Order: sequence, then structure tokens, then C-alpha cells
Amino acid sequence: MPWDFEFTKEQEDLRMVIREFAEKHIAPRIIEFEEKRMIPNEIIEGLAKLDVFGVVLPEKYGGLGLDPITAGVILEEIVRADLTFSLAVAYLVHTSWGYIASKYGSEKFNEEIITKAAKGRLWIGIATTEPQAGSDVAGIKSEARKEGSYYILNGEKAYISGIREAREQFPDGGGHLTLVYTDKTKKHRGMTFFYVPMRSPGITYRLEKEFGRKGWSFGSFAMENVKIPEEYRIGEEGRGFYIAMEGFDHARAYIALANAVGTKRALEIAAEYIKQRTAFGQPIAKFEGVQFQLAQHWAEAEAAYNLAYKALWALKKEMEGKINRFEVTKICATAKYFAVTTAKKALDDAMRWMGAYAYTEENPVALALKAVKSYDWAEGALEIMLLIIAREVLGREFIR
Amino acid sequence: MMSLNIIVLVKSVPDPKTPPTLKVDGSLDLKNVKIVVNPIDKYAVEAALQLKERYGGKIIGLSLGDHDNIDIFREIIAMGVDSFIYIKDPDYQRFDTLQKSYVLSRAIKKIEKDLGRVDIVLCGVESSDTNMGVLASQIGEWLEIPSISYVDKILEIKNGSIIVKKIIEDGFITLRSRMPVVLSIADTGYEPRIPSLRDTIMARRREIPIWKTSDLSLEFRETVLKTVRFKQIESKRLGKIFRDEDVDKMIDRFFEELKRDGVSLLR
Repeated sequence: MPWDFEFTKEQEDLRMVIREFAEKHIAPRIIEFEEKRMIPNEIIEGLAKLDVFGVVLPEKYGGLGLDPITAGVILEEIVRADLTFSLAVAYLVHTSWGYIASKYGSEKFNEEIITKAAKGRLWIGIATTEPQAGSDVAGIKSEARKEGSYYILNGEKAYISGIREAREQFPDGGGHLTLVYTDKTKKHRGMTFFYVPMRSPGITYRLEKEFGRKGWSFGSFAMENVKIPEEYRIGEEGRGFYIAMEGFDHARAYIALANAVGTKRALEIAAEYIKQRTAFGQPIAKFEGVQFQLAQHWAEAEAAYNLAYKALWALKKEMEGKINRFEVTKICATAKYFAVTTAKKALDDAMRWMGAYAYTEENPVALALKAVKSYDWAEGALEIMLLIIAREVLGREFIR
Repeated sequence: MMSLNIIVLVKSVPDPKTPPTLKVDGSLDLKNVKIVVNPIDKYAVEAALQLKERYGGKIIGLSLGDHDNIDIFREIIAMGVDSFIYIKDPDYQRFDTLQKSYVLSRAIKKIEKDLGRVDIVLCGVESSDTNMGVLASQIGEWLEIPSISYVDKILEIKNGSIIVKKIIEDGFITLRSRMPVVLSIADTGYEPRIPSLRDTIMARRREIPIWKTSDLSLEFRETVLKTVRFKQIESKRLGKIFRDEDVDKMIDRFFEELKRDGVSLLR
């Protein structure tokens, strides 16, 4: 296969735009994200003004219509500046699920919602997990029944990102692509996806005090007879599960990249530290025990980085109709699994080289490790990634 | 509403983050140097954009150089200038500052033929490579119009004159000038905008006309300034520590020492 590791000039130009903004406005404030448990409005507004929330959304609805690789270049710069991953979550969730919402949403939905999403006036999230059903998606209990041209939704979603932001922070609010049953008897084939605005009457919510990446809210919401117009149904009835799986592929590819880039950045920071800090009369960086660990983690992060771009490339090819769904799912699961598992090991070791200084709330490597931990589960548990890879390698008949 | 014709001069310089090294013969090794837009010139671009937003008009970016990397000017287009012209001359490296300002002023004259009177010419206070800081006054002389250097902020345009806040040795001074005028803008009063992704993409599709100096009917004179040699300046940290009980006293001593070393300070 012909292979080119170069980004286009346009991609490099866009990278520099985000880098300039990120260095000036994001990097100096990440501790504030953690302490205040929110991203300041000026940063959201600044990114919106730069078109960051419309990168992959269709030009017809005010987006830039760019491909996932270009979206990845932008993500890289966001992560490099914010190792808490709060902004990475804000960006990659909206980018992945905004794209899916636009692809399967009705014309009216696109005109009403995606146009605002592209301008960063509204944020789009994802809600599949429930208190008793995470990886076991078929175990969800939320349901919708049709009444005229509306659906009435009931149920509860748990461990959801961005509820507060979609209710309060974005000027036109926002909502979550919410997976519910429209026909429980059909199991996976009875699930349907809806865009549920978080400001809808009948929504109540509760926020958790999360372990890391505290700048982007994380919590649960309950739906009590929430009335959703049928134009907000994303895709056909009964297609929700499959559309969700497609969206997860997008999110996993971006997550893989965020983890790889975050790891590389954290290793750079740790490397600078161990070059300065001395122990037993020499810089810590001169100890081969540390050097070998650093080199090994760097090699893995570099491999994870390239695998992440392969996943984004696969998503691009799928948009062009040149690759099949299962292949995409396999590559994205592989990329996420590898990036997250290697990131955790690297960040853990990097913290050890930095000594007790690493064990502070302001240490960027520690912040990254806390953030990366969330990807043990977010957008598909690591064990699910392994099941997907095994299924694609061995064949479906070997999976129970 | 008035409508201003504004020209912003933009220089290409070696990236100040990775400056060129010296060759054995003492000349600059420019081979692996990354060329970028002179950082302070972006403040002049921002000043131009704010003038246009307030008073209406047209902004033309203008640059002189010898390289082929015109893509670096796309950032300036993305920021919002209406058009950009690059004058390319293979002899550029041999020009002294007076010749450069002469070429630019002739180009401004040529632009005036199409555009009508140019009201304001803006540039950054100095370039990060040669740090001469003389362009504005030289352009003013060539065009026989007033010039003001080290402008912090343009305050107002009224009845054909312009009011600016200029940086002077120990503070600021407000000056009024008739127009047309040449102003060099400092990096103090403005914050250059970051272009959006969309404008960055659109800028890539825009054409940047390239002029030759031979199109400008120039009468070159001898260079006045000659580069004798380049020398690497070594900077050292003094690492001076002031130890005193009283903080105010320490601060006073700190400023006294700076003054003694010839550092002038803004109040």
C-alpha cells in the first residue's frame, strides 16, 4: 500500500492556528479547569470563533467539511496544551457524535441543530450507558413510545459527559444522542437513537465528582416523559445500536490519538525534568534504568500515534465508501486498546522518574494519567476492544 | 462613512525561535532556516484591521524579498487583509535598508495608480532579524509624507488627520498628524487576532500576485550601508541576587542597577 506520513500544507496551516490559540489561551489555564471544574467561557467562545466545533460537519450546514485526519491534527494541538484532557473530551465527543448526528439526522434536524453545532453555539454528546448497563448495551432500560409526531422518552443515563455544558454553558445549549428501546422484543434491532436536548422539560440531572479531567462535567440524567419531535430521531427506528457502534469507532480513533499525543507530550515534560533534576550526583536522565524506560515508552507512543492515524484514515476511507464497516471497527478498537494501555504504563513510569513532585495536583503528567484512566471504560471498555479484535481475527463463530 | 486605503508592510524573516547560525567565513547560514512573517508586523496588520472595522476601507499587504515561500503570507490574508502583493528580487540580500524602503515606496506609488490615494502605510516597529527600526521614517521620506514610529495605538481619525499614542523614552505622547501618514506599530497596544480555520482554508485558495522590481521603474543608487560581518552575541545570565530585609529597598536597588547598565524603562 502506498503510504505517506506527511500532512498537507493546509493541515499544517490549521495546526498552527490551533497551536497559537492553545499556547496563548489554553495552556496557561488548565489548572483552573481542574480547580473550577469547568472550561472558562472565553475558551469555549474562542474555539467556537475559530470554527473548531464545525471541523467535520458538512459545509451545507455551516461546518468546514474536513476529514477525520484533519480533525486529528486539530485534536493534537488541543491535547498538547491541555493534558487534563477536558478540552479533548469536549472536542472529540462533539466531533464524533456531531458527525454521526448529521449523517443520520433529518434535514430539519441538520438545519436546526447542526448549523448551531458547527458554530459552537451548541454541544453534542453521547448517552448510551445506564446505571445497570454499560458494555452490556442490550441491558439498557430506557425506552421511547411514539405519540403523533413526537416520541415520549423515559429512563436514566449514567456516567455521561457534558450534561452541564449542554444545559448551561453553550449559548444554545446542546443535547446527547441517546440510545433507547423502541421495541424491547427485538433486542439490538429494537434500539433507536434520539437527539435529546438537555434543556428539555422532564430532564433532571446529577453531576459526579470525577477522578480526573475535571473541566468537563460527568454525571447522570433521568428522562421523565421527555417529549422529543420525530425529526430528532437519528436514523431509522431499530437502527440505533448500529449507528451507535459507528459513532464509537469515530470516538475511539480520536481517543487513541489523544492518548498517544498526550503520552508523547507528558514524556517530553518528564524528559525535561529528569535532565535538570539530579540524584546521586548526576542528572536523573543519565541513569540507563530511566533511559530505557523512556525509550520504550516513546517507541510505544509513536506506534500508538501512527495506529491512531491509521484509524482516522480508515474513517476517511469509509466516508469515501472504500472500506467496510467491520474493518473500520477492528482498526479503531485496536488503536484505542493499544494507545490507552501503553499510555497508562508510560505515564505511571514518567511520574516515578519525577519523584514526589509528580504527586501534586498541578503536575501535568499526573493530570494526564488521571485523565487517561477514564479510557479504561469511556466509549467502550478495553475488554470490549479485545473482544472486537478477537472477533475480527478469529471469526464470529468463536465469540459467544 | 469614510473609506481608508491602507497598506501594511510585512517582512519575511528567519524564524526568531530558530535563528540562523554563522558559517566559518562569518556569513549567515540561511540554508536550513525557516522563513516566517516578522512577528511584530502582525500588530500592524491588527491595527489595519481595526481601522477598517471602524472606518471602512481596503487593506493591501505588501512584502519584498527573494524567497519563493509565499505561503507564509497566507496567514496575513487569513487575518483579513483584502489582498497581498509580493515583490520578488533575487538581489534582495544585497539591498541596504534605504534601497528596500525605496523599492517599497515605489510599489506604494504603483498601487496608488489603481487604488487611489493611500491614506495610511503601516509596518511593525522593527524586524526581528536586523532590528533597524527605520523603515517607517524612510518610507515617509521617499513618499514625502509624515511618519511616526513606535505607535502604541491609533486613537482616532478626524477631519483628515490621525491621532496616535506614541511610545517615548519615559512614557507615551499623543500626536496628531495629517494624512497620508506612515506609522510603525509596536507590540504593546494591539493583540493580533488568530484567524479562524475557515479563513485559513480560504486564504490558501487566494492568489498572491508577484511583482518584479523591474516593473517598478527604479533608479537604484549606491548602497549607503554595507554589511561588514556578522557576530554571534553571547548572552549570559548575571544571576544577581538581592538580599535585603526591606522589599522596597531591594526594588529600588534593582532599578538603580538596571539604569546604571543603560536599560531605559517605561513608567
